[in-house]
Amino acid sequence: MAEPSAFIVTRNLRKTFVMGRTRVHALAGIDLDIPEGTFTVIMGPSGSGKSTLLYLIGGLDRPTSGTLLVNGQDLNMLDENALAVYRRNTVGFVFQQFNLITSMTALENAAFPMRFAGIPGKERAQRARKLLELVGLETHLRHRPVEMSGGQQQRVAIARALINNPRLILADEPTGNLDTTTGFGIMQLLSNLHRDGRTVVVVTHDPRMLRFATHVLYLLDGRLVSREEYEASIQTEPTG
Amino acid sequence: MRLFDLLALIFYNLSRRKGRVALTAIGVVIGTAAVVLLVALATGLQRNATRNFAGITDLTMVQVYPKYGGEGNIMMAKPGGGAEQPSQTKLLTTQAIQELAGLEGVQMVIPRDSLRWPGRVKVGKLEAYPYVFAVDTEDLSVMGYELLDGTLKLERGTALIGESVAKSFNDPNWRPGQPQPEQPQLLGQQVRFILTRWTQEGTTVEKTIPLRIVGILKQKMGETDYAMVVRMDDLTAWNEWGNGKRINRNKEGYEMVMVKAKDSRDVTKLADTINNLGYQASTPMEFVQGINNFYTIIQIVFGGIGAIALLVAAIGIANTMTMAILERTREIGLMKAIGATNRNVMTIFLGEAAGIGLIGGLGGVLLAWGLAQVVNVLAAGYLASQAAMMGGQEAGQAAYIAPWLPLFALAFSTLVGLVSGLYPALRAATMVPVLALKYE
Repeated sequence: MAEPSAFIVTRNLRKTFVMGRTRVHALAGIDLDIPEGTFTVIMGPSGSGKSTLLYLIGGLDRPTSGTLLVNGQDLNMLDENALAVYRRNTVGFVFQQFNLITSMTALENAAFPMRFAGIPGKERAQRARKLLELVGLETHLRHRPVEMSGGQQQRVAIARALINNPRLILADEPTGNLDTTTGFGIMQLLSNLHRDGRTVVVVTHDPRMLRFATHVLYLLDGRLVSREEYEASIQTEPTG
Repeated sequence: MRLFDLLALIFYNLSRRKGRVALTAIGVVIGTAAVVLLVALATGLQRNATRNFAGITDLTMVQVYPKYGGEGNIMMAKPGGGAEQPSQTKLLTTQAIQELAGLEGVQMVIPRDSLRWPGRVKVGKLEAYPYVFAVDTEDLSVMGYELLDGTLKLERGTALIGESVAKSFNDPNWRPGQPQPEQPQLLGQQVRFILTRWTQEGTTVEKTIPLRIVGILKQKMGETDYAMVVRMDDLTAWNEWGNGKRINRNKEGYEMVMVKAKDSRDVTKLADTINNLGYQASTPMEFVQGINNFYTIIQIVFGGIGAIALLVAAIGIANTMTMAILERTREIGLMKAIGATNRNVMTIFLGEAAGIGLIGGLGGVLLAWGLAQVVNVLAAGYLASQAAMMGGQEAGQAAYIAPWLPLFALAFSTLVGLVSGLYPALRAATMVPVLALKYE
């Protein structure tokens, strides 16, 4: 599986949390290569470290040890400022909780990241409107999150993730708070992004999402495992 | 991030929590109002004190007296009789006046002398006893004299008279029970000035001089109130008559000279220079500076008392911002996830804290301004009576808000907000994004 030109490369990636006196190895040595333009689904029960892995790739947290390259850039070498610029320009996040700002309209929420990129207001509004049309919310531009359904909110979040035109979309349980039909719609949207040439990494524990994936990674207790190993484990100890 | 976007975001964040921002800002309003009002009161006191003082004296004037040698300033009589003048003695002779006129920053030097013999002004049966002096200048307005009526132009045989003495005529033969005599009209009138001296044998000799009063000097709590001002040549002639010999200004000099500085700021320095030349110079500026120093201390103390209220408000801001950061932890995480730098986050929260300070400062300045108006209305009666007592000066304001004060108050309250926001903003900025995002 080692492709030298892979978009995301990790080698012996570890993340250890200290909880009181015990150390929890959230990631216990991950080696993976995710090629550019793929739709990768990371499967794993809760507590398997899949979200931790996603946040490390997204530069929202730093690994305890190991190598982490995205687009040839060693994230360990970036200072806080450069990491913020990396998140701004290279990554678009989609969260389970949507994380919209409740007092802002759909348009304002979608355009929000561009403020930190120093882009003028007019241009921000134009691009946000275009992206909201793309996710099918052209009639909801002035709606606030409370006035929208979960699926609509997640669409706003996807528009926001796309606003700075990132090459990498990271989604943490994007369908976790949605019913099945709505969830499929969201996955379809993410899949379209992949088809446009973006690299998409989605973390989920819902096997129904696998049909969209070009690559699947199984994570158990902070380690990458084979599909068989994963399924055997799921059957013996079911998780929620 | 663009400055406009930053400001817009700060304003937006403040506006979505109006209630809390308003409550927090009230603390700053009270603190700022306390600082502004107390400093305004101190400034008002200062202005009333210095204005009354400045009204009665010309701050550009240095009064120079001759210096007599020996210990202290007492003229030493030698045992052999005859007042021999030691070498340190500096008299205000004609040469001395030229020396003083040549000093840097001197506009003019005006000799002054007073009548050494008793004299009284008589109008009909009524008499008054002014202090008679002359200043040797054609233009008396440079002395700061103000007319109630008439002219300042003096010719030989004319005189100006102070308002107070003009109202103090009495009848030496008046007995209790008789009606008080009516004060005479003096302006333009011929009066008799009766000069008195004593011969060696002790007999009194009187000389009556006809004088015309050409001007009445406005009362201003100064030396002219009870004075009669005449021309120097008249005065010299009267003193010579009293002494029985001529006065040689080259040797005896004048009683005093007034050195007028070009600029009031140079007055203190000029007085020092003149003292170093060996004369005795004094200036009202020293006194005014003393008053100013005193009131500056009062302002600082008053401002400090007000600042305690601001300190309490600062704690309120810090508290509000800390709460805001707890509530908005996920939002902070989100901002970081979408590319806000630590500095962006820091600036936003600092800006919000400073914004609360600024809003409170604006409210405080307005409140203080309103309260100052109320105080001034309430104190107006008292100040007017005070002013009347001080000699007809215009009544001042009890609380005076100097133009710099609102600006200072705004800057200060904003700074207080900024400083209060420092710790919460720093906390927000240094949050690990992933932990902030997961914060429940």
